[in-house]
Amino acid sequence: MSSLKYESQVRPPLVSGDKSYHDITVDIIRPIENRPSRLWWIGFLTAVLLLCFGIFSVTREVIYGVGQWNLNKTVGWAWDITNFVWWIGIGHAGTLISAILLLFRQQWRTGVNRAAEAMTIFAVLCAGQFPIWHMGRVWVAFFTLPYPNTRGSLWPNFNSPLLWDVFAISTYFTVSLLFWYCGLLPDLATIRDRAKLKWRKFFYGAASFGWSGSTKHWQRHEALSLVLAGLSTPLVLSVHTIVSFDFATSVVPGWHTTIFPPYFVAGAVFSGFAMVQSLLIITRKVLKLEEYITIEHIDVMNKIIVLTGSIVGIAYLTELFIAWYGQNPYESFAFLQNRVNLLSPYGWAYYIMMGCNVLSPQIFWFRKLRRNLVVTFFMSVIVNIGMWFERFVIIVTSVYREYIPSGWSTYYTPTIWEIGFYMGTFGLFFTFYFLFSKFFPVVAVAEIKHILKKAGENYKAEMGPEEKESIEAFAHEYEHAH
Amino acid sequence: MSEKKYWKSFGELNLSESYKKDQENEFREDLPSVLDDGKGMMDSKHPRRDFLKYLGFSTAAATLAASCEMPVRHVVPYLVKPDNMVPGVADYYATTFISGGDAVSIVAKVRDGRPIKLEGNELSGVTKGGTSARVQASILDLYDTARLRYPVQMVNNVPQEVTSFEAFDKLVSDSMAGQKGTFVLLTPTITSVTTKLVIADCLSKYPGSRHVQYDADSFSGMLLANEASFGKRSIPSYHFENAKVIVSLGADFLGTWLSPIEFARQYATGRKIDEKAPAMNRHYQFESLLSMTGANADVRYTHKPSESAAVALALLAAVGGAVSAPSLPENLKAGVSVAARDLLANKGKSLVVSGSNSKEVQTIVNAINEAVGANGTTITWEAENLTRQGIDSEFAKLVSDMNQGAISTLLIYDVNPVYDNPNSKNFKAGLAKVKTTVSFSGRLDETTELCKYILPSPHFLERWGDAQPRTGSVSMMQPVIAPLFRTRPFEDSLMIWSGNKTSYDNFFKQYWTAKLGGYNGYEKALQDGVVDQMTTLAGVVAPLTGAKYNAGSLAAAASAISSMKKGGTYEMILYQQVSMGTGAQSNNPWLLELPDPITRGTWDNYAMVSPNFIKEQYGINLSDHNQSDKFESHPERQVVRLKSGNSELLIPVVAVPGMPDAVFAIAVGYGRESADPKNTGAYIGLAAVGAGKNVYPFAWDNGTTVEWIVPEVSFEKTTEVYKVAQVQIHGSYEGRTSVIKELALSEFVKEPEEILDDRKKEMSKFGGIENFEKEGTLYPYADKPGIHWGMQIDLNSCVGCGACVVACHAENNVSIVGKNEVLRYHDMHWLRIDRYFTGNLADPNSIETVFQPMLCQHCDNAPCENVCPVSATNHSTEGLNQMAYNRCIGTRYCANNCPFKVRRFNWEDYTGADSFPNNQDQNGVGKLNESVLMMNDDLTRMVLNPDVVVRSRGVMEKCSFCVQRLQDGKLKAKKENRVFTDGDVKTACQQACPTEAIVFGNINNTKSAIVKARQENEHRLYHVLEELHVLPNISYLAKVRNPESEAKEKA
Repeated sequence: MSSLKYESQVRPPLVSGDKSYHDITVDIIRPIENRPSRLWWIGFLTAVLLLCFGIFSVTREVIYGVGQWNLNKTVGWAWDITNFVWWIGIGHAGTLISAILLLFRQQWRTGVNRAAEAMTIFAVLCAGQFPIWHMGRVWVAFFTLPYPNTRGSLWPNFNSPLLWDVFAISTYFTVSLLFWYCGLLPDLATIRDRAKLKWRKFFYGAASFGWSGSTKHWQRHEALSLVLAGLSTPLVLSVHTIVSFDFATSVVPGWHTTIFPPYFVAGAVFSGFAMVQSLLIITRKVLKLEEYITIEHIDVMNKIIVLTGSIVGIAYLTELFIAWYGQNPYESFAFLQNRVNLLSPYGWAYYIMMGCNVLSPQIFWFRKLRRNLVVTFFMSVIVNIGMWFERFVIIVTSVYREYIPSGWSTYYTPTIWEIGFYMGTFGLFFTFYFLFSKFFPVVAVAEIKHILKKAGENYKAEMGPEEKESIEAFAHEYEHAH
Repeated sequence: MSEKKYWKSFGELNLSESYKKDQENEFREDLPSVLDDGKGMMDSKHPRRDFLKYLGFSTAAATLAASCEMPVRHVVPYLVKPDNMVPGVADYYATTFISGGDAVSIVAKVRDGRPIKLEGNELSGVTKGGTSARVQASILDLYDTARLRYPVQMVNNVPQEVTSFEAFDKLVSDSMAGQKGTFVLLTPTITSVTTKLVIADCLSKYPGSRHVQYDADSFSGMLLANEASFGKRSIPSYHFENAKVIVSLGADFLGTWLSPIEFARQYATGRKIDEKAPAMNRHYQFESLLSMTGANADVRYTHKPSESAAVALALLAAVGGAVSAPSLPENLKAGVSVAARDLLANKGKSLVVSGSNSKEVQTIVNAINEAVGANGTTITWEAENLTRQGIDSEFAKLVSDMNQGAISTLLIYDVNPVYDNPNSKNFKAGLAKVKTTVSFSGRLDETTELCKYILPSPHFLERWGDAQPRTGSVSMMQPVIAPLFRTRPFEDSLMIWSGNKTSYDNFFKQYWTAKLGGYNGYEKALQDGVVDQMTTLAGVVAPLTGAKYNAGSLAAAASAISSMKKGGTYEMILYQQVSMGTGAQSNNPWLLELPDPITRGTWDNYAMVSPNFIKEQYGINLSDHNQSDKFESHPERQVVRLKSGNSELLIPVVAVPGMPDAVFAIAVGYGRESADPKNTGAYIGLAAVGAGKNVYPFAWDNGTTVEWIVPEVSFEKTTEVYKVAQVQIHGSYEGRTSVIKELALSEFVKEPEEILDDRKKEMSKFGGIENFEKEGTLYPYADKPGIHWGMQIDLNSCVGCGACVVACHAENNVSIVGKNEVLRYHDMHWLRIDRYFTGNLADPNSIETVFQPMLCQHCDNAPCENVCPVSATNHSTEGLNQMAYNRCIGTRYCANNCPFKVRRFNWEDYTGADSFPNNQDQNGVGKLNESVLMMNDDLTRMVLNPDVVVRSRGVMEKCSFCVQRLQDGKLKAKKENRVFTDGDVKTACQQACPTEAIVFGNINNTKSAIVKARQENEHRLYHVLEELHVLPNISYLAKVRNPESEAKEKA
């Protein structure tokens, strides 16, 4: 009678500890109902301070001009667009986890998807700051929107990859936000139902849109989740593809490369998962969620990191090979002189990138290291440093010495206000993240109940004796019961 | 249907009269009214609601009005419109640029009463419409904020206004009364016929008085040598166009020597290539630095500054002169003999010029020119060059007389010996001993502030006058704007102080009316601006025709040279930059920000040294590209301490390939400073503050003339570094053959189609050059009917002088960004002249230099256009890549994607045109220099071209092919109801170019000059980065050199 057993004997349970449904609710919603800890306050205020510094930096830039940054006539983009692509890359993991893994029925995703999606939304918000504030005249940024106007009518230039960015990012942001919020609804209702404070009841009541947990609600919820997952899946691939078009469609040697779309997507997933690791390792510790975000999750995500890191590595080597094989003097100069040559002005950046992105993740071939929290946290930071340098290398080492040697640039270093803007987006990100961890359940309460080992255990406990009966006895008993 | 009647009131039921009437009235209730009942607001029907409405509106309106603090700018229309003046339509007046002895015929463009642009006068027989960077920039001097605005008397070293000219005259005459000493007038070379008459007349009233002419860049060596060799203290006319072989011994004749605009044009004539019969002159340059002229040379040899006399002597010996050759390094000796053979092989078609100010060297050069048959062919005496007449010893005599107290009155006009004379200390001391010192300078320069009475002279655009740069060629000067300040021509003062009743203006008019056969002739001369071929002029001695050479002084000169001081370990040479010259215009931001053609440095002078020097002293091997990359990408340059005699100097060193080893070459014209340095900004000008170091004190008097060659300096390293602002940091073109194409004349003769064949091969996969445009892309091809603009630049004609760069600034209101911003690579030049070196860094003789004017290529398939998210940059139907500044949001994507790197971004508020007021005053990152703020002064802004938008912060800009001129030209043709032709339009750069290196026009018109130029030069034609399929509308003609190997082969 083993055909009735659907318990996996190989995989360890996704939620450890002998949790009941109620335990889960209590565990995850506890931080929302309790007062925030000291640690939370310190983190939150630091984030707000960083945000204020960022706002100040950007204000200076808006008033005095982009000259507040060290960009120049040759290097038109540097930290601004590097940071933009970096944040956008980070914003890839959440949707990948919630959408693609949902479609692939990877149940482990339920432990991490909520936090990862939130991270995605905040990262995209941060990313969006850069293309907006890097404009020389940000007050006319609305020119990029295709709205009917009295100027002719004058439309934006649909040939421009920057315009594609506008659409790609705003679409991605909207869908991610909807998906995230849709998943939040049952949990918000749970908080509402448990709430004793008036404002909490009101706030979560309004936010849960009258969720009653009826079967019809659940059915619609599931259907909507699936539709949104279907919508987000191509977006995961398209957003970074389009971001890579900013470079790939240009004529700049080092940018003009057909390999960019897959390479950028792999890099984005790579850095996104690294960021999820960094955040969750801290979150699970601080909010005591080790039983929900288990070492199994960490292990699985590290596997993805080593996979995508290796894809990125292959892309790097392919680029180099093509630079040599293509015999384009400008392209080979951009790669072999501006990057591979360690003694060239930015040679060091290339080797930081190679070391962090290609070599270091290889340690995750070892199970022991994959399951080591300290190593994982350290690596996740290293990977994100490496991925930042990847974008810096692509952007700056390509443009600073390209076709016309007379235009070759002086050594670019950021000013305090460029750094301030970047720090400010960290402030923005963590301000949101801390608020999120205080006011929303960081693990999807409703979803994690689906995968609870408890269900299986209960089944085994109740159905075990019955399974031992013969079918005839069972049928006999069944008939007599009625 | 029932006939029931429904009613809602008795009135309706009964249809009463009052009801009907009431129905017709549209406004049955009274309209809310405030004031018609005459009871005032509070008593009216709805006082409270209306009151609140009014209150709300007025509060909101007041808040809005008060919060938008917009600077008020007044536009004052004419009360009475002057005749012949249409607002918005430019007037052009011919006049003359004067700076020291230099005189250039120009045409001033005047818009609504203010001159905004200077062009060369094509009628001039001397310059033929060419200009230089300094001429182009001189319009800005008119609006210089540091100009003196009224007569001044110095009281305890503080300038105090003198209320009227009469009061000033009285002050001076009181001071001069009862003096026994000599009366001296100190001026630069005066080329003006009438001024000379005025001076002569004035001097005759003061017995014993004299006129001393003083030139900062003195030619007394040549004047004295010519006196010895030809019997006359004068300078002949040079004809570089007639020379097949030109040997320059350190003369920068294309940039700063004597009459560079004229010479550049002549020189380029001999270098334009006719593809059917390619031939060109060969230019040898022997020099101790890399000058702009040397950069153009076919064959270049470097030597120590102290060897320059020996080189001349060796050349004379080699061409068969009766002198013994001095000892010289082997390669130099070989070079001299090749040059000599070439000179002799082209007897009568050779020319040797020398930049030396030594009488002996110039005597030797005269002998060489005699030996190679230059006299009468490439050097003629029918018309003399009158632009340099100063004799150093006369000035030296004046200084000693002043110190002995023999001079009682010294009038100084337009010279600044306290700054630019090596003897300035003695001059200063002497000046204190002169009782009456009057300066006519337009600003409180170093000399003027030490004078007692200062009566500023007007700018040359504000006055009448004339100039005769060459005998018989007179250039007329007329005011194109009423004097901006209370100034008076110094001739007026001389006439008044010598008891003359007429004014200079009247005298001028009378003189020329009589000379030119009546008023009509006078008027025509003013209109043309020039009178050529004048043979009878009073005040000018008849020209020396067919001067006979007399070798009498030769032996003495040769022996003097062999006993000249030998050079030390380190030597120094002073030179003039093509931008700054002697420093007369050193408060001119356009010139200060004009990159030097060789170093591409701005805002400073520095010591040019060889790369070997950097290697020996600092251990940086610039031949190693890793080390040079690191070195060049940071602006910090090592500072050295140089000492010679009593002069000492701390100056940064800049490595320049082609510099001889152990030589420091430093430009004069920088380091302006008032007696109290705090006053420099107010007296000399804000832009001049801190710009470089003054090296004039290193010049020295050899007993007869002033030498700029310092045979021995001691040098010391310091730990200091100084940031030098260069606009180009990388010198090699990295073998990028689609950027620069260059070949030797013999190669070109042998294989004329080499470049064309390469292009054909490259494009063969697209079906050849003619199909490349269509086949090189996936996109459909669009026809280009009508006008299509195109430009061609001949790299063989471009000498790198930078006149076009400044012309572009003036025409297009291109901003000045100041040194701080140039250091951050934020310069705004729409047009730049790229400079590339080839050769072996360690061997200065092997270095060859190429100049390439680089501007927007107006690509037909422009990579900048498709990446702009808002279409702010787009393509016109006439092939222009155009910028809509108002649409630009400033993403800078276009600049990243421009392969030519010609797009310029307004990083900060350089123009004061920004939406944010008061945002130029910040400190910290991006602090703007005072010079940028100076450019935003209301006075300076008068120079702006009203046809061109002043760009605000945050937008991208770049070359527009002078679209305002194109529109103007098309409209002109349209109004005259004819087809547009070449003559209707010239771009600013094209017009300024003295060598006509730029051809511009409609490439769809088969008869246009541009089409002709492209057809005739098919073999040398190429487009930069053509293989990218960006389809530039600018074509270049490859540079052809005529190197020495060919001379060797022939010999």
